[in-house]
Amino acid sequence: MKALIEFQQVCKYYYMGDDTVVAADHISFQVFKGEFVAIVGQSGSGKSTCMNIIGCLDVPSEGTYLLDGRDVGQMDKDELAEIRNELLGFIFQQYNLLPKLNLLENVEVPLMYAGVPKRERRERAKIALEMVGLGDKIKHKPNELSGGQQQRVSIARALVGEPAVILADEPTGALDSRTGREVLGILQELHAAGHTVVLITHDNSIAVQAQRIIRLEDGHVLYDGPSDAPEAVVTPRAAGMGGVPS
Amino acid sequence: MSILESVELALKNIVSSKTRTLLTMLGIIIGVAAVIVIVGLGNGLEGYVAGSFSDMGTNTLTVTVMSRGSTRSLSVDEMYEIVAENSQYLDLCSPTVNMMGYVKIGSETLSSTSSMGVSEDYFGISGDTVAKGRGLQYSDIANRSKVCVIGAFLDQAYFGGNAVGETLRVGGTSLTIVGVLAQSGERLEEGGADDCLYLPYSTASRISGEISSYVVTMRDEDHIDESVDALERALYAVFASDSYYTVTSMAEMLETMTSMINILVGVLAGIAAISLVVGGIGIMNIMLVSVTERTREIGIRKSLGAKERCIMQQFVIEAACTSALGGITGILIGRGLSVLASRVVTRLMGETLTVSPTAAAVGMAFGISVGIGILFGYLPAKNAHVR
Repeated sequence: MKALIEFQQVCKYYYMGDDTVVAADHISFQVFKGEFVAIVGQSGSGKSTCMNIIGCLDVPSEGTYLLDGRDVGQMDKDELAEIRNELLGFIFQQYNLLPKLNLLENVEVPLMYAGVPKRERRERAKIALEMVGLGDKIKHKPNELSGGQQQRVSIARALVGEPAVILADEPTGALDSRTGREVLGILQELHAAGHTVVLITHDNSIAVQAQRIIRLEDGHVLYDGPSDAPEAVVTPRAAGMGGVPS
Repeated sequence: MSILESVELALKNIVSSKTRTLLTMLGIIIGVAAVIVIVGLGNGLEGYVAGSFSDMGTNTLTVTVMSRGSTRSLSVDEMYEIVAENSQYLDLCSPTVNMMGYVKIGSETLSSTSSMGVSEDYFGISGDTVAKGRGLQYSDIANRSKVCVIGAFLDQAYFGGNAVGETLRVGGTSLTIVGVLAQSGERLEEGGADDCLYLPYSTASRISGEISSYVVTMRDEDHIDESVDALERALYAVFASDSYYTVTSMAEMLETMTSMINILVGVLAGIAAISLVVGGIGIMNIMLVSVTERTREIGIRKSLGAKERCIMQQFVIEAACTSALGGITGILIGRGLSVLASRVVTRLMGETLTVSPTAAAVGMAFGISVGIGILFGYLPAKNAHVR
């Protein structure tokens, strides 16, 4: 079976003056169609770098990233924009809705860049908003909505282009625990409906909602396996990992 | 994303920040309106000058002679002979004597009336027609008759429309009014085209002195140079020097005046155009700010699949829409001001001057403003896609 997301020895370096920061150090993993994967790690663990690379917002310094079999590292900016539009649906911590547009227009944006005709765009955006339970608010502006509702709009926006991967970056980070659970519930529903979901979080209690966990630390993969295994949620320090004195 | 959608998006953005957009557009609005009004004024002025020259006829030449003592001078008969000899170019001729003395009707002195001594052919040259009574005749000139023909203004204002047969005085000489000219100006008013008086040049020269200028009409307006040459040759033969006479063609004078007006208008329009450039810089400034404060929006759009040229297109079109809107507003204001200026000038000067911007000027002002918008929108937009 062909992997949807495939990291092969992916490295990412950032240059800060004379220093080289290794944000991702030979990371390899695969995500298959229909999986619900959480990439979890503390800040500085490399999870944001992974998220940027998976999301085609950045390209690896070394190694290969294949998205749906296509080598993203070889793409120019326009091709990256195209592949983002075509294969990826983003859900951000801060919702990232465009404040001047109403909900319908917000959800339409990815379709607009995909060149979908206006009438079809309207229809599909409406359906997506109905799916997240906001079909009655399509003319509202984002700031007229609660945080949870706004996040649901951004989920609708992520879904509307029927992407291969839904990439959620700390989707509950700005929400209270109840609405956070609601949003996670939607993600689980999407997974149940056959969508591939990649969830990026620092929070173990959220990561365990996924089916599989990839734990990162210092740019390395520390654990990659089912979320119900005991090692999955154990903090590295407690597990004695990396505990060898230097 | 199509251009149309970009325009829609741009208009939405413009509407959502009205004050800012208005302030941004102000430079363009003022610039376009100023260019339109100035060009319109220039056109009006040109039309006015051309109009007053063509009253006189652009096919006329004016000959001014200074007598050279008693030895050499040009008599009226000699001038007529010259015209007759050059009849392939020249047609009618009339001496003109500008009267120094004021016109007096009863006890009233008229200071603004233009009075002139002319021949019987003069009305044929000037295109005036006699409405009442008769015009000047050869016998009036031969007999130095004390008669005159007056303009419609004097007839209406001083004689209640029954001037024929009445008398008035010019420079102390009493003249009988034998005819009234048809109205030639748009309104009857003091100092206007109809506030005039004509008497036989022979009578006039007795009151005012020497005959020193002539109007001559040409048979063909296309042969101005030949006509002037012919006249000058004949006059040189009389005076043996070229410093005692001048020959001026109305067409040439009109051309000179027109080109002077054009230069003036060009300079003024250039100054107004500076404000267009300043307006463009205003747009650039606001687009730069807009790019900076919309970094987030740009980022979001990019993550949703916007290509760089989509982002750039959006900003350029927004700038172009802003300046186009400014241009249209400027054109409307410019036209409004033109109408207003026409009225004010007409009222102040008592002359009809139509301030009419040409379609070309309007089109150019609009084109430049949009061009500036695109140019000055492009630079910040380049900035936008780098982010």
